[in-house]
Amino acid sequence: MTTIRSLMTDDHRHCDDLFAVAEEAMAENKISTAAAAFACFRQAMLAHFAAEEKTLFPTFEAKTGMSMGPTQVMRLEHTQMRTLLDDAAAALAAGNADDYLGVAETLVIMMQQHNMKEENILYPMCDQHLPGELPAVLERLNSDLALV
Amino acid sequence: MQALLSFENAPPFAAPLRFFITAPLFALLAGLLLLIDGPDLFASRWLPATLAATHLMTVGFMLQVMLGALIQILPVVAGANLAQPLRVAAVVHPCLSGGVLLLAAGFYFGQPLLLESGAGLLGLGVLVFLIVGGRALFAVPSTSPTIRGLKLAFFGLLTVAGLGVVLALAMARGWALPLPELTDLHAGLGLAGWAGVLLAAVAYVVVPMFQLTPGYPARPGWLFPLLIIGLLLLWSLAVLLAMPLLVRVAQAGLALAGLAFAGLTLRLQGRRRRARADATYRYWQLGLVASIFALCMLLTAALAPKLAELPGWPLFFGILLIAGGFLPFIIGMLYKIVPFLAWLHLQNQGQGKLPAPNMSRILPDLAMQRQMKAWLLAVVLLLAAVVFPDWLARPAGLALMLASGGLAFNLLAALRRYRQHGAVIREKLAA
Repeated sequence: MTTIRSLMTDDHRHCDDLFAVAEEAMAENKISTAAAAFACFRQAMLAHFAAEEKTLFPTFEAKTGMSMGPTQVMRLEHTQMRTLLDDAAAALAAGNADDYLGVAETLVIMMQQHNMKEENILYPMCDQHLPGELPAVLERLNSDLALV
Repeated sequence: MQALLSFENAPPFAAPLRFFITAPLFALLAGLLLLIDGPDLFASRWLPATLAATHLMTVGFMLQVMLGALIQILPVVAGANLAQPLRVAAVVHPCLSGGVLLLAAGFYFGQPLLLESGAGLLGLGVLVFLIVGGRALFAVPSTSPTIRGLKLAFFGLLTVAGLGVVLALAMARGWALPLPELTDLHAGLGLAGWAGVLLAAVAYVVVPMFQLTPGYPARPGWLFPLLIIGLLLLWSLAVLLAMPLLVRVAQAGLALAGLAFAGLTLRLQGRRRRARADATYRYWQLGLVASIFALCMLLTAALAPKLAELPGWPLFFGILLIAGGFLPFIIGMLYKIVPFLAWLHLQNQGQGKLPAPNMSRILPDLAMQRQMKAWLLAVVLLLAAVVFPDWLARPAGLALMLASGGLAFNLLAALRRYRQHGAVIREKLAA
């Protein structure tokens, strides 16, 4: 059965894969391949953030009344990761491989610990609190993620 | 719950950092001891200088980094918030550093008073950590193999420290205890029950995180720490009942469990999605390969104890497991944790208005790779020195000093850059 946890976790893995493709191209010094792969990765990440911020978090907050809790922390981390995505894109545009790899390293750890919190805590909480809304939320998340 | 999601609850950088910065100095000291005493250190594991060097590496380096890292990660990976982390660090760190110096000096100079005070100070530091950390950790339900593993590791730490204090007192006061059997058990509790279980619990989180590998399978993940603790209980029971055969059964079991964990980790790393072989990855590869050889030696010794009576066997095993296995895992993780924390704290200082330098600007990969080569050389020379002590003991000591000094240098350079960037950020924010 599809749950919020399984859907969103799968999307995390999808983003990881795209990230890895970009990093691999960069390590092989194929800058233009890396730039294209990174653009895909960035787009997928931004779509994921948007799906959470526009659909998942507001629904969760409306249902539980917790608006300053975990979702707020997740939003803050999204902001930090958006900055890192911008930094990485700038390094790529400037053709600076060292800077790109350094930002990528920071981004990976930030991203993985963020995902870990969502997958182990926030998504299970969502599944638990939103059983009635589940079909509608899943449908909207699916379209949010597919849109971009 | 919110604590688990937030880095706001992560302790100030100074709390873990003081442990990380001082740890390499104790490995440096072990190298110095080897440089001074030379081949004598390799004559037997029971020599005063050898015991001193062993504790400088295990307590001075390993325990030091592990407790510092736990102060940092207990809130983040387990949602266990320590009360006043900075004060805990301010008590535990001097107890640990002073305690291991006294203990090593006690061994080296054969001074009962130094031995007793060293063991006492270490025991106190560990106890304070276990009480404060335990209160936070045991309040959290065991919802993941990592949290369960951390709890079991705390149990391991309690037993290894307790038995260590007893052994030190027995040596200082000449109590009639079966010292060789209890010392082996003390080493088993420390390396398997504490360090091994802790390493596994942390690896479940960081191996997928750093290298984008698939996750550890859940069932073995839950079972591994329990199995280790169970086998150590069996070993303790066997010592208590004076049943040497049962001791060997427990040791063989531990070797097999360790081999399964190392093999699985190696396989997961083989399926990692990151192409870059950075210093952390290389260090983990070194640690895994060395551990696998060491555990094969442990298994061989359990099955054929005659072989283990070969001269140099225990030293070769110890060097392979500690300098070749555990320390590389720990150094590899330090190389991610320190620059990431520096970035995170700078990021928070900048309040989203000023950018933080990325991790490789805090600690460049090239510096880490160079230091790693020095470490590899030190491990090879140490192992070779067991076979040719007259020729290689002093070069090995020198290499260990160089590699540990290189680590200290890298960490201090990262700290210096962190402070420089922090000062710039403060200036700009004030302007």
